[in-house]
Order: sequence, then C-alpha cells, then structure tokens
Amino acid sequence: MKRFFTYYRHALLMVLVALLMPVSASYAMPDPTEQMKPFLEKLVAELKKEDFKSGKSCDQCKRIVALASEHFDYYEMSKRVMGKSWRRLTTEQKDQFVNLFTKLLQYAYVGKVEDYVDKKITFKSQRIKGKRAEVKTLLVDANKTIPVSYIMLLKDDKWMAYDIVVENVSLVRNYMEQIRSIMRNEKFEGLITQLKKKIRTLEEERNKEQSQVVNKQETSSTAINVQPSATL
Amino acid sequence: MKYRQFFCSVALAAVLVTTGLSYAAPAIAAQDDSTVDFLDDAFYDNEPDVADIGDPLEPFNRAMFQFNDVAYTWVFNPVATGYSYVVPADIRGAVDNFFNNLREPLRFVNTLLQGRFADSGTVLTRFVINTIGGVGGLGDPAGRGLGYGPVYATLGETLAVWGVNDGLYLVVPFFGPSTLRDFSGDVVESIAMTTYYRMADLDSWEEAAAIYLFKQQNRLSLHLGEYEDMKKLSFDPYVALRNGYFQHRKQLRNHEVE
Repeated sequence: MKRFFTYYRHALLMVLVALLMPVSASYAMPDPTEQMKPFLEKLVAELKKEDFKSGKSCDQCKRIVALASEHFDYYEMSKRVMGKSWRRLTTEQKDQFVNLFTKLLQYAYVGKVEDYVDKKITFKSQRIKGKRAEVKTLLVDANKTIPVSYIMLLKDDKWMAYDIVVENVSLVRNYMEQIRSIMRNEKFEGLITQLKKKIRTLEEERNKEQSQVVNKQETSSTAINVQPSATL
Repeated sequence: MKYRQFFCSVALAAVLVTTGLSYAAPAIAAQDDSTVDFLDDAFYDNEPDVADIGDPLEPFNRAMFQFNDVAYTWVFNPVATGYSYVVPADIRGAVDNFFNNLREPLRFVNTLLQGRFADSGTVLTRFVINTIGGVGGLGDPAGRGLGYGPVYATLGETLAVWGVNDGLYLVVPFFGPSTLRDFSGDVVESIAMTTYYRMADLDSWEEAAAIYLFKQQNRLSLHLGEYEDMKKLSFDPYVALRNGYFQHRKQLRNHEVE
C-alpha cells in the first residue's frame, strides 16, 4: 500500500510538472522593453565615444552594426523587404541581397542613430502578440517628439527587431514598394546594381563628411581667435 | 476681393471634378480600409499594390517631384535654414502653434461632418483653452498639461468618410504629395481660412501668399533634414515619398484608441 502511494505521488508530481511546464515557459518569455532598453543605451554610448565622428570610412559603422546585430535581424528584414519575390530567389541571390541590404541598413540606421545622441529615448509602451512584440519609444528633444517603434520577433529568448516604424512609416514597407518597382522593371540584376550604386554614394558622402570633421578639428585651435561673431 | 471669387470657383470646379472622377472610376483607388497592425504578418505579406494607390499620372508626378525637389533644395531649404539660425526654436514652435490654432474651427466642422463627436469636443476645448490660456494659440497648454492632444481632421478625410475616392495620386508643385480628393479639400479649406485675412483687413493676394509662405517656411524650419534623410536612403525617392505619404496618412486617419 505504501509503495502504491509513493508511486501515486510520483505520478501526481509528474502531472503537476507537466501542467506547470507551459506556464513556466510563458513565464520565461523575456520582456521586450527590458531587452531593448540596455541595448539602445549601449548603442548610444558607443556613438558618443569621441572617435566615432572623426573615424575614417565606416570602421565605426561596422562596430555599431556588430553591436546592433545583437537585436536586429538583418536576414528577416531583407526577407520581408523582398516580399513575394523572396521565394523566387536562389540561395546565392538571397545571400547576395541580404549582404548588400544589410550594408545599406548600416548607413540607414547609423545615420538615424547619430541623431539619437542629443535626444532622449523614452519607452512608452509595449505590446506582445504571440512571438511578436512592438516596443514603442519616443525620441524627445527640445523641439519635437518623434515616435519610433521596434517590431520584434522572439528567437531563442532574444527579441530581434525586423522593422523600425518612424512616425508611423514602416521602414520595411517603404523599401518594399521601392524594391517592387525596381524588380518589375529591371529584375534582380537591376536591383543589385542599384543597391551597389546607392551604397557607393553613401560611402563617398560619409568619407567626405568625415574628412570635413577631421579638418575642422585640426583648424579649430587657430580658428577660435579669428572667429567672427557667429553667435549674433 | 476679386481673387477670392476666382479661387472659390476654381475650388468648386476642382471638387466637382474630383467627385465626378472618383465616382466614375471607383476601381482606380480601391481604398483598403484595413487598419494597420505591425504585429500582423498580413501587414507585410499584403504587398501594397500600385493600382490600389492609383498613380496613372506618374510621369507628370515625377516631373513635379523633380520640380519640388529643385525648389526645395535651392530656395525653401536655404531660407528655412537661415531662418532657423536667426529665430530660436521655441519661438518657431510658438508660431507653428499659432497657425495650428487658427485651423481648429475647420477641424471642428470636419469632426462634426465625420460624426466624430468626442473629437469635436476635444477640438473645441483645445481652441478655447489655447486661445485664452495659450495667448492667442502661441502655447499649447491644452495638449501639454491637460491631455487634450491635437486632433487630425481635414476636408479630404471628410470626403473619404462620405465615400469619395482618392481619385489619383497627385504631386502638387510647391505643395507636395497629395491626392486629387485631398488636394481639392485643402484648396477649399485654405479658402475658408481667408476669413481670417478679412478679419485682419488683409485684402491683397500678395499679403495672403506672403503669410502662407511664412507659415510653410516656419514649419519647414522645424523639420530640417528630414527630406534629405529620406532621399539619401532610398533608391527611388519618388516611390519612397509616395509610400511614406500613404502610410503616414493612413495612421493619421486611424482614430481608434491605442
């Protein structure tokens, strides 16, 4: 009888554990805002480092992008941006596109994030739906408030953003329409050519900006004395 | 006074043409009424169809886009940038508030026409509080402290509620992206706004145009660099702007509470 009882107790325990499993699993779902907050703070801190602006080409961009890949899913973004055409691409084409589009996003996001430096990020609210979440933030400075939302997917306990919605305009959706019209007229090859061209011009612009910053820093020590009253 | 009559007849003609066109060709702009949910995969799967938006005038629109781009780059942007150096940001913000406040009566009428009565109350409250407490609308105490945030309501939206279709996508010189319906609405609204000019004893169209330009320049000075960012990062700025316009508008007209 006693033996039967212990057996029974074990069974009961098993059932209890089984019942609790899904509950604890959903309990373990990490909070998207809790993950985003330190992540964005880290990004902004990196941008505030002195050498960021003066650095040559986009070495710093690469650092930022490496940091950002912790919570940005470039593959998922590329896939969504391609829309229905994605399924028709070969694996090589997919890789090629993801590579180039990630590069474009580097400039897109690094350019955006640079504005964050003199702004404050406040977390407004979040919404979870299954494995998706939207974290709503506000970019606040003295003159205006810009709503920025991160749309994320849960992958192995990590919330990975696959879209950024700035002032209600979804980045993915916006690129999607552009890509669609290019794909219709110029096919995949045309799209790749255009992507490369865009990245090249962005690189050139960035280098130009950077060399300007460097020049300014070099001449600033002498410029102070002769500076006209620009504060007028 | 003559220019008013002229504008009125132009606007009336425009509205008639719009409504006529939109009813005649309902297929052009099949409005998709689904609300946006970013967490829904349908939002990404459902590709925006150019036919949905209706851009049959694309060559013309592209030319106008180029025209606006040149006007922006060489005239409006330099002027607004210079202005932003001279005038501090909070004053520019107050000027923007002032013009915004002047428009509240129009918003009130539109919310009524759209059957959004709770919003009508908000608009009226905003107008009264901001005109008195915000010194003629220079401040926005109603939105900042009292929770009566700005309400979006235009004649274009009213026409949409009444079943008038967009007609077609239109890039208007000096004005930017719009649709036939919305632009007609804007023209009628700006004529309604001339009531203020009469109240202020302004009679020449030059003065009215100067005030309008000032208002637009002031607004632009608060949004410097946004257009450049958009242009820099897109392959086809024309398509990017068109898509951004429709996405933004859709959200503005989504009045469901968050």
